[in-house]
Amino acid sequence: MNEHPQWTQAAKRLLDESTESLDAATLSRLNSARHAALAPRSQARGAIAFAGLASACLLLLALGMHHARREPAAVRDIAALDEGADFLVEDAGADEDDPVAELAFFAGVDEDGGL
Amino acid sequence: MAATMPTIPIAPALRNSVRVESVANRTLDEFLKSVERRALRMAELASGSRDEALDLVQDAMFGFVRHYGSKPAADWAPLFYRVLDSRLNDWHRRRQVRGRWLAAWLHRDDEDESDAIAQAPDANEPGPLLRLAGSDAARTLDAALGKLPQRQRQAFLLRVWEGLDVAATATAMRCSEGSVKTHLFRALAALRRALEDHA
Repeated sequence: MNEHPQWTQAAKRLLDESTESLDAATLSRLNSARHAALAPRSQARGAIAFAGLASACLLLLALGMHHARREPAAVRDIAALDEGADFLVEDAGADEDDPVAELAFFAGVDEDGGL
Repeated sequence: MAATMPTIPIAPALRNSVRVESVANRTLDEFLKSVERRALRMAELASGSRDEALDLVQDAMFGFVRHYGSKPAADWAPLFYRVLDSRLNDWHRRRQVRGRWLAAWLHRDDEDESDAIAQAPDANEPGPLLRLAGSDAARTLDAALGKLPQRQRQAFLLRVWEGLDVAATATAMRCSEGSVKTHLFRALAALRRALEDHA
């Protein structure tokens, strides 16, 4: 059901026809205007995306640095093992015979006429 | 043993954001494409000049994308025409101010300046509709629309041509629904009179 008078249909048709026969130069300018209007929006969104990416990279870098400064558990275990090994080496050293003492021992035996 | 780093799903989020943005831009582009020709004709009928009309439509596109581009697509049509209507009103205001200065300079009669009909483009001057269609009916309609006051013309074009309902037209024209009905009633009466006179 049309709520407007019948003659307005003819007016509408005439107006529609007038938009269908616009010249190429006008259409080109409309196209340029549309792209120009949308360009700042794309640039702004691109800047926001770039800022988001940069923030994420910084966050990752900070997390990585924080993680690297902490001594990993595996390294701590190896250090503990290393300390234990030193202790064993020291013990083993204590049990070894001193060559000078050995020489003095055998010289004494010789003086006493042998074993 | 290598230490495990925490993983953050950044790339998919960014990809999705860019994809959504690209779709939104494409939709906005399609919307502007669908209204630009009618917007141009409205601006042309209001200003009487193709170049002025192109500038006005471009301004309206900029304003619409900047202020209302993020609104739901269903609201775009009345909001776009609201921006265009605002630009047309600004254009008329500037023109009136310029006309006043010009009148003072040329010592013209002030009564003519306040008469909206007298300020309308000359009906005998070939309008855009004539250039495009070249028919007698088109020329008559163009002249009749050109003679209408700005608010009546906008009410007619938005309601009858663009097909906006009363509420959307009121949003576009920044006025009450009652005002839209009044403007449209007067526009229809004036146009009918003009067309019958011609016939």
